[in-house]
Amino acid sequence: MSGPPAPLRRVLVANRGEIALRIIRACHEEGIEAVAVYSEADRLNPHVKAADAAFEVGPPPAKDSYLNVERLLDAAARAGADAIHPGYGFLAERAHFAEAVQAAGLVFVGPPPSAIRKMGEKTEARRLMADAGVPIIPGTTTSLRDADAAVEAAESVGYPVLLKAAAGGGGKGMRVARTSEEVRKGFTQAASEAASAFGDGSVYLERFVDQPRHVEIQVLADTHGTVIHLGERECSIQRRHQKLIEETPSTAVDQSLRSAMGEAAVTAAQSVGYESAGTVEFLLAPDGDFYFLEMNTRLQVEHPITELVYGVDIVREQLRIAAGERLSVPAEPRGPRGHAIECRITAEDPYAHFLPATGRVEYFQAPSGPGVRWDGGIETGSEVGLFYDSLLGKLIVWGESRDRAIRRMRRALEELTIVGLPTSQPFHRRVMDEERFLSGRYDIGYVDSVGEALLGQQLTNEDLEHVAVAVALAEDEARGAVVSLAGNGQQTCTDSAWLLAARRAGLRDR
Amino acid sequence: MRYTVTVGERRVAVEVEGDRVRLNGRGIEARLVSIPRTPLRHLVFDGRARTLAMVRDADAWQVQLEGETWAVSVMDERTEQLEAMTGRQAKAVGGGVVKAPMPGLVLRLEVEVGQRVEAGAGVVVLEAMKMENEIRSTGAGVVKAIHVKPGDAVEKGVPLVELSEEG
Repeated sequence: MSGPPAPLRRVLVANRGEIALRIIRACHEEGIEAVAVYSEADRLNPHVKAADAAFEVGPPPAKDSYLNVERLLDAAARAGADAIHPGYGFLAERAHFAEAVQAAGLVFVGPPPSAIRKMGEKTEARRLMADAGVPIIPGTTTSLRDADAAVEAAESVGYPVLLKAAAGGGGKGMRVARTSEEVRKGFTQAASEAASAFGDGSVYLERFVDQPRHVEIQVLADTHGTVIHLGERECSIQRRHQKLIEETPSTAVDQSLRSAMGEAAVTAAQSVGYESAGTVEFLLAPDGDFYFLEMNTRLQVEHPITELVYGVDIVREQLRIAAGERLSVPAEPRGPRGHAIECRITAEDPYAHFLPATGRVEYFQAPSGPGVRWDGGIETGSEVGLFYDSLLGKLIVWGESRDRAIRRMRRALEELTIVGLPTSQPFHRRVMDEERFLSGRYDIGYVDSVGEALLGQQLTNEDLEHVAVAVALAEDEARGAVVSLAGNGQQTCTDSAWLLAARRAGLRDR
Repeated sequence: MRYTVTVGERRVAVEVEGDRVRLNGRGIEARLVSIPRTPLRHLVFDGRARTLAMVRDADAWQVQLEGETWAVSVMDERTEQLEAMTGRQAKAVGGGVVKAPMPGLVLRLEVEVGQRVEAGAGVVVLEAMKMENEIRSTGAGVVKAIHVKPGDAVEKGVPLVELSEEG
């Protein structure tokens, strides 16, 4: 796609929520107009209000709106857009979408469709990586026929094994199995999840490395042959393969390991002719060996922490690359400088096994102040439904050191206020005080091993007193209010409360 | 008025007397001010200042303090005495019904009628937000009835599976 630079004037953002808003902001800073699309459920979402033009693309279910290629291209044509940014999720890693965008004469702000396709077929990608000299984990190279084939493969690779959807990502369609029975069960679940989430039920399997970390490398590649990396992101704090907290630098990565992983990531990108921003995910074993997992051929949810320690705006670079310009980042970027942490604030109840929650945001206040960034997609009044991802926003902090960043995150988590539905916020607040996290010695088993204990913690005595006093005063006031509305005095109030209680008690006896 | 405030297993007795509360035998100045058009309230108490988000639902207050949310129930003295007299204590309602903890789509049933189920065993798989969630039994028993089938869309709180006590 190289050619003379052609500045972008109007970019359609084929996404919603926090990432749509993030991209719209980058466009505006570059003097580019941003076009939003929205489903019927998202008419008043912040990303729609932030854009310069907005088009409805269908009913709430994603397959009818944000995944509807025809509607999206139609909106782009009507808006007079010259490019489409897919964000992450939805159509971001669908080669057919990138092709359709290009066929419509528009610029796809992302990698070439051929690179998406090569990395998207996970089995094929691993073969390619092995050929290019990027280390991979032993596993099957073709998708599994059925549960019997899965068990057979598991026995030859060696337990424990990981079952993965070939078209997967974001933890969907993944299962760990330690016995043949678990392989059978896991295969069925992974295949059905993959079929419903991606329309492709093929599953493959690989050796499960025990106590590994999940460390990924950010790469940027322009259309002039420059490919660089921007260090690692430590993403080991996950639950069911969904990342919850990311930080950079990783406490397990020193400069020489960073260089080695960075080089492997650059090789991986080059071997598929990559352009734009991408992320190469590795499993990092306790002994310092690392294995290619997959390449995410898109902007990553956790990209902001890299931006903070490298002083680079990754979305801006994507826009520049899409316009045919050279990277504005030096080939040997300075960094990482200081430390950055991201907490994903999701509509999930940590006290109920992180079950998804829905509801209306009755009140929202973002944290602010030094070193704090809130990339969110909600505001007071937002309805959180079940149609889309549960991510409400990302709380990101920067500090001069890891310790300073953690202190800052504690403070920011105490400021963040979301009223109306349960969120993952208390989980994050507690991790920021947890010993293993503070030591930096953790792996992807972290949430399983400390999660429950963390949530069992109680209020401090002082906080308990404050909560009790506040509730007693509020209750007293609420009763008083009822009385004044009724035009009665205090005495009547206590009497009627007494009578009400007696009546309730009477009813209960029946 | 004297209130008993309960958070989890812990109870605190607070007596409200105008702008003062009596707590652990001490009379302390306490002021709670609602911040207009928000669920926020600001407490000044015993030389400390706190901002809390407080929402009252059917039978409890949901209180948020520094990023944590607590379910807090409160009872005044007379109600408490009455309930004690009528012998109505929080008696555990037999955990015989497994309810949907969230809205979702029933994907699979993992039990059948007549099957014995241990506490914590998976009974139904619900899909919500593109994830499969295994709903587990809170108690042990024998499956008496199943109220849903694969493909059903269920609301939060809908009974999924009913267990009878061990026979």
